[in-house]
Amino acid sequence: MDLPGPRWKKGKDGKDFAALAAANPMSTIVAELQAKLRDSEAVATLAVHTRDAILEVGKDQAKLLNCASFGRAVGSAGAERQWFQLGPEEVFFLCHALKCVAVESENEARMGAPELWDLLASTSEQFPEMYRAYEHLRLKNWVVKSGLQYGAHFVAYRHHPALVHSEFAVIVVPEGKAFGTTCGCMQVWSELLCALRASGSVAKTLLVLTISTKSSELGSMDCLEQMIVHERTITRWIPQQCREQQDKSCREVSSNEDQEHTSRGVVFSYWGVVLSFTVLSSLLVYKLKF
Amino acid sequence: MAAGVASARDRRRWSRAPAGGAARDVGNDDGEEQHLNPFLDAAPSASSRVQFRNMASRARCVEETGAAEVVESRDKLWLTTGVTRAGKLYYNVEEIGFLAEIGALVLLSDKDETIGIEAIYEKLAGGNYGCSWDTFQAYKHLKSLGYIVGRFGVPWTMKHSGTCDTIAPQMNILETDQSLNKVDRASNDITKLLKKMQIDGISPSFEVYLPNSKFKKSSPGSPSFLLCLLRVKPPSRVELEAVENNFRGIPLKYCHVDNGRVSFLSFDEVTLPSLS
Repeated sequence: MDLPGPRWKKGKDGKDFAALAAANPMSTIVAELQAKLRDSEAVATLAVHTRDAILEVGKDQAKLLNCASFGRAVGSAGAERQWFQLGPEEVFFLCHALKCVAVESENEARMGAPELWDLLASTSEQFPEMYRAYEHLRLKNWVVKSGLQYGAHFVAYRHHPALVHSEFAVIVVPEGKAFGTTCGCMQVWSELLCALRASGSVAKTLLVLTISTKSSELGSMDCLEQMIVHERTITRWIPQQCREQQDKSCREVSSNEDQEHTSRGVVFSYWGVVLSFTVLSSLLVYKLKF
Repeated sequence: MAAGVASARDRRRWSRAPAGGAARDVGNDDGEEQHLNPFLDAAPSASSRVQFRNMASRARCVEETGAAEVVESRDKLWLTTGVTRAGKLYYNVEEIGFLAEIGALVLLSDKDETIGIEAIYEKLAGGNYGCSWDTFQAYKHLKSLGYIVGRFGVPWTMKHSGTCDTIAPQMNILETDQSLNKVDRASNDITKLLKKMQIDGISPSFEVYLPNSKFKKSSPGSPSFLLCLLRVKPPSRVELEAVENNFRGIPLKYCHVDNGRVSFLSFDEVTLPSLS
């Protein structure tokens, strides 16, 4: 199926940012970031209780982190040193995939990637599949940020969020017994349609990344290589709107096909559901008031 | 809701305040937040940098507590921040972090050398002084909106005018000494006590008061609500009932921090009317 095209944002001159993005391909920015972080031997410190990490960098690296959209700047900008807060997938990606950031726990003990994997996986059952999905998209040079506020796991942008609207709300669905109790989400119609509604209300296409694996268990980082990512979108086709048109946008779009495994009826993405319902109900209240 | 906790006007004011990101998503067809464009050349100008050096208050670290004693106060922030003990004002680690970030506080070591923000961030990341990184995000969010936020279970002052309306009355019995170390130890005891009382781990992190220019530490009144931090999973009914039982009559709000984004939620028990 043809994917929707990007919706570029516009600059002050009224022209859209497509050219600016084309002149600054994400692959180049990430490569530069990787080199600069390696050279400065950057070290991120894990925060306890949460799964975030804090990274202190100089001005050049700060600019590249911002351009590649990794993390969130903390504190005031413009100083010589800048602090960034990184999410668990981001810090693991910088540490393991790009190998440009070392990681320390709060008592200053260095952690290698396998140790970091064990720690992050132990504090969140979903980490293996979430990371695999994050890595999959980042390696294709998409910008990936948390999608929790939209009721999804991630949102994916074709370039920096300041230049383009995000096209996809991403839901990660693990498949197979190896994933334990987290397996089986998006198996209930209310969840699927909730995710579809939530993503539509913020003008994004719902992208479902299904993660399958041949491994029987996911104990260590080695299971990463075994995980395969399948991409599928879920879109609604509106027959009333398409009767007269012949163009591509009305060609029938694939719904989630019946590859259903035995339902385990487990709620997916707890926070995603809570937050997306909150968003939807607030929307309803807003529409009723005005 | 307990009578006298919040006036009807206050309640209406709350319901207009945006809750997390939901209000922003509404009415905007893509719900995108605004992003700074790093590809444009404009570097943040020196004037936009926070430079309050001449007007910053100064506080000296109290060893091993994560707190600092204010030695020079240059603003009115102390009226709604920090605790008073034996006539001295102390800021705890999240207060120090918030004030240092906005340039309103310079932190000094016990040898009066300036301590940079990196050391403050390290303390918060380490979570050893009663406040972890995500708790700090929630604290910062409310403080920058003008709310008065105190650490749950720690009295603003030991001197009280009028009736003492503290939530944890045990504090008065346990506290005989007025040094901050003992207060923190006492508040740790309280925290342990409270945790034993609960089935699961939800406990309030902060007591929050609406912005109020007449706030007095000596008689703060009841907080508008207690804020509980939630982490891995949304709370179950059992967990909610347990924490509600422990704090009968005081509104509870919950917050979830996702990579620096703070969402505030209420989980209110209701009884729908039976309709005719």
